[in-house]
Amino acid sequence: MRSSIWLLALFAAPLLAGAETLRINGSTTVNLPVAEAAEILRAEQKLDIQVDTQGGSAGGISMLGDGLVQIGMASKHVSDDDRAKYPAVRFYEIQIGEDAVALIVSRDVWEGGVKAVTRQQMKDIYEGRITNWEALGGKSQRIAFFNKEPGRGTWEVFVHWLYGNAKAAPQVNFPEVGGNEETRNKVASTRGALSQLSASWADGQKVFALGLKLDAGTVIEPTNANIATRKYPLSRPLFLLTRGEPEGIAKIFVDFILGERGQELVRKHGYLRLKDLK
Amino acid sequence: MTRALSWFLSLLALGALGLMLGIFTWQSGPVWQAEGIGYLTGGRWFFRQHQFGALPMIYGSVVVSLVALFLAAPIGLGAAVFTAEYLPPRARMPVKTLIELLAGIPSVVYGLLGILLLRDWVYERFARFDPLSGDTLLTAGVLLAVMILPTIVTLGDDALRAVPAAQRRAARALGLLRAESILHVVLPQARRGLGAALLLATGRALGETVAVFLVVGRQDNNLPSPWYSLRPLLESGQMLTTKLGGAETHIAWSDPVHWAAIVGLGLILLALTGALALFGAAFGRRSDA
Amino acid sequence: MRKLTDVGVAIVAGCCALISVGLLVGLVAVIAARGAPALSWSFFTGQIRLVGAAGGIFWNLVGTLILLVTACAACTPLAVGIALLERVWLTGERRRSWLRTALYAMNGLPSVLFGLFGFILFVQWLGWGKSWLAGGLVLALSMLPTVTLALIERLRAIPARYVEAAAAAGLNRAQIVWAVLLPQARGGLITGTLLGLARAAGETAPIMFTATIFAGATFPTAIRDSPVLSLPYHIFILAQDSFDPAVGTRLWGAALVLLGLVFSLSLLALPGRLKQHEEAHG
Repeated sequence: MRSSIWLLALFAAPLLAGAETLRINGSTTVNLPVAEAAEILRAEQKLDIQVDTQGGSAGGISMLGDGLVQIGMASKHVSDDDRAKYPAVRFYEIQIGEDAVALIVSRDVWEGGVKAVTRQQMKDIYEGRITNWEALGGKSQRIAFFNKEPGRGTWEVFVHWLYGNAKAAPQVNFPEVGGNEETRNKVASTRGALSQLSASWADGQKVFALGLKLDAGTVIEPTNANIATRKYPLSRPLFLLTRGEPEGIAKIFVDFILGERGQELVRKHGYLRLKDLK
Repeated sequence: MTRALSWFLSLLALGALGLMLGIFTWQSGPVWQAEGIGYLTGGRWFFRQHQFGALPMIYGSVVVSLVALFLAAPIGLGAAVFTAEYLPPRARMPVKTLIELLAGIPSVVYGLLGILLLRDWVYERFARFDPLSGDTLLTAGVLLAVMILPTIVTLGDDALRAVPAAQRRAARALGLLRAESILHVVLPQARRGLGAALLLATGRALGETVAVFLVVGRQDNNLPSPWYSLRPLLESGQMLTTKLGGAETHIAWSDPVHWAAIVGLGLILLALTGALALFGAAFGRRSDA
Repeated sequence: MRKLTDVGVAIVAGCCALISVGLLVGLVAVIAARGAPALSWSFFTGQIRLVGAAGGIFWNLVGTLILLVTACAACTPLAVGIALLERVWLTGERRRSWLRTALYAMNGLPSVLFGLFGFILFVQWLGWGKSWLAGGLVLALSMLPTVTLALIERLRAIPARYVEAAAAAGLNRAQIVWAVLLPQARGGLITGTLLGLARAAGETAPIMFTATIFAGATFPTAIRDSPVLSLPYHIFILAQDSFDPAVGTRLWGAALVLLGLVFSLSLLALPGRLKQHEEAHG
């Protein structure tokens, strides 16, 4: 019993100290440059920064709204619904780069001849009317569509393209994947797989990004050039979100990301920098 | 003073348990109001449309646990028979220790093994049934079978050892061979304890979250049609625990009905596992109370 | 025919045992083989870099340690209190039985429920955000039945004559508790705690809602908004990225370290359990 008290005293000591900690949470897409920036700032300026990726973009927004973090990471805009959920919060969007959502397939689909898809075909797949790659010109193989978890920025961009907004999307039943990591892993290891993934994560070796076939017949690939000029329709901005204008340690972090070195990190992880956008 | 302290601490602990029950019941209120019994029997979970039917998840949890039990029980009980009846006394302690150690392997490690080894194996093995991927209810079931195996062996061993040695001696004295003594004397007498062991192991399987999270596929609304079809086993599914551990729990907080639905799943899980634990305890209760 | 059955049963049982033990030992061997290359001094003392592709697990170990110590400190007094209540203060077998039943029921509850409870109570209602203390308390709750039941067993095994002698010497019940029961039961408490900790060390679900994040936390400096890193959560998150070879070995290494931690705690409890076993059956 006495040792319990001793232990409590030991824990009480650190409670007296108190430096400001920067807490960041949100999208796994935005996480890549942010996590590395945090490492750099931690090492160079001894700042206390904590980064997590619970719940993706939606988690970033909700935790920012709940006051659990100072910076939220999101790969989508803060919607009117989100603003309505947190009426007291003034969401401030700071764009740090741009990314695109690619429709990725596994190797066997790509080598089977399917290299592009039209919007209507994707809609038909999503709504279950097309279930075999044959219909798209590939070899006969069941389409294994992995849908992104609700709340993921990637998913919202995808349904926005198909339906105009998330609300109009029909309810569907597909296996779910969470962050970019799990998506890539599962698509790579399943035959006939298809999913949504941040374009920079499609490496062209284990998973392959489909081009989008427009009505006119031209195919737009998710290359940097096409994303920068907004020719590729599935692009989305990468945001850091704060409550009101960033202050203190949050401001230091935001300034770093928007600066030369921070933007280099954005580019390093395959996204487009602000100055690459036209 | 000591007595007061003991009472205080006990009430604190049991109070926490009661608080948990209370919070779950109270916070899930809105969804019971909105859906009524349809919450349990409804086969559709579409949270955006505020449609909450937990049946597919109950089905997923139950089916996966049954698969695990089906696979692990025969092997586990056979192994328990071996350790209880055939092992020489000196070897018992080391073997039992080994198995108990193995029962302690954390579930996240199983999850790792599952995602890296098991799902590909299931995908290849069952390829002719054309599963969507390696993430199926069957994969989860097999993984859980391996997880609960040491538990069944240990508890089964305890149950068999609880049968007095005098019974075995009497059987041998009557001329029964060892196998016959096991089959006709020991096993029948250990029935309750073995049943309890299986119930407790099933309870553990039902409550597993992280091990199965990565391999079950997390697809909602996967119900068999017709009801006796085994097809869902080869499809991705959702369990009560994997829904709780998933993304919805993080985004549901601000929506009262959605949050109520999530907490309701916790309540269902609590009821199921609590009942199994209670049955298991009652079933195997020894007489030295 | 009878002889055939005899041999047959023996063989079947033996095979089952072989499969059980072989399967599980094989799994451990796989983890050891794949994880061993990652183990090095810098693995244990460095921090995570590049989302797990480089660096070590130092702060994860620290975080797990903090959670375990907290859980232990919170759980011990509660377990002792309940055990004493059951053995000493409660009159009537019915009430004791109710208490034990409650403990058995609690023992069967999945840890994810405790995590959900902790999320509602600590993270949201008390406004702690993610906190090491919330995690420790939640783990303490999930450990409680294990420790308490082990302690009750131990108390039950204390020979009646010790208690009778003390009573004959004039000690009242409270004095008997402090002079006889607790000292005698200390071994059982330690054993039960070690077993509870072994289980708690590997838990992911309770702490992922309440206490842990993936990167950035070091030593917590407050209660509110003070998460820690942890080994199980680290493995859980990285298991989803089992695609990246750079992460691969480190991931297995982390799993191996976690396994080692859990096994060590269990093995530490072994001498106590052997002694108890001897006393009961000797």
